[in-house]
Amino acid sequence: MQPPSLVSDYLERLTRALSFDAPLAHRVRREAEDHLLEALAGSPEGESPEAQRRALERFGDPRAIASQYAAQSLLRQTRRAGAIVILATAGVYLAMKGRASWYGLMQWGMSADLQAIAPVVIRFDFYAFILACALGIVGWAYISSRRVAPSFHPGCRAQLRRGRLLCAAAAAPLVASVLADVILTVLRLADAAVSPAALVPLLTQAIEVALVGVLVMRVRRIIRHADLAAALTSP
Amino acid sequence: MLKGHLDMIVLAALAAGPAHGYAVIQEIHRRSGGAFDLPEGTVYPALHRLEQAGLLGSRWTTGDTGRQRRVYALTKRGTRALAKHREVWQRFADAIGGLIGQASHATAQPRL
Repeated sequence: MQPPSLVSDYLERLTRALSFDAPLAHRVRREAEDHLLEALAGSPEGESPEAQRRALERFGDPRAIASQYAAQSLLRQTRRAGAIVILATAGVYLAMKGRASWYGLMQWGMSADLQAIAPVVIRFDFYAFILACALGIVGWAYISSRRVAPSFHPGCRAQLRRGRLLCAAAAAPLVASVLADVILTVLRLADAAVSPAALVPLLTQAIEVALVGVLVMRVRRIIRHADLAAALTSP
Repeated sequence: MLKGHLDMIVLAALAAGPAHGYAVIQEIHRRSGGAFDLPEGTVYPALHRLEQAGLLGSRWTTGDTGRQRRVYALTKRGTRALAKHREVWQRFADAIGGLIGQASHATAQPRL
């Protein structure tokens, strides 16, 4: 059954206001639609424009309602991003270790050119990875220990902003670490003969790139969603 | 002030049994004698928050009209939380009642 026009317009506005969380927007829209149709069914004026206006007025401003979901939704999204930072870091570590073990097992040495630059790249890789680990753990601990705020107040927004910053700050050195790994792997494979043994370094490297790709997309998404939610608080 | 107690009010409205959002609002209106005039839409963020906190459970059902609606019910944790809220509220109400009663009594006595 198609809701009457004013209700439809209202539901569109509510869905747009909740665009920082698409699954939530879908659910809230269905609940609001049921609520408003129920209210109209109980109205002596039926679905007249006046009855619709009154029902919508009683329901409340869509932006105000959406902003009441923002604190919880953004906290959940930021916590998920924090967990992905930890998982991606652990995944990159395992992939790095797996590749290094494979090189040892295959007695895959380094060419003279690679030996010249490898120590610098490996040191950079090491410190970038340690920094990513430290920031990831701090970020995850910080955002996991935040409690759900009952409203999207400035204090809550500041906490979420700090959580996002820590996630982004952990993602950046992890990306740098994986880039360093890519450089080393490419240089190693460039000198090696084509063989099935090269599949293991390629596969582990692809896993690392995929993990940081997922992480970067997740961080970008929470930043975009936070911007959409922040727009609800502006006049 | 009402906003600060919304979670307790919603839990109390669901104490009688599972209900969808519209019925929760109706129950709040009925039991408060129409005293609580919150925008109706504000009850849904509260229901969602309580569900995420594990105090409520919910599922989609099909109503008499054939429309899908989400029905909420107290979980065991929710029932315990409501009992705790009631206890705290009762202590608070008793304390305020005592204070106001005393104040009224004191001001009612003419100083000689």
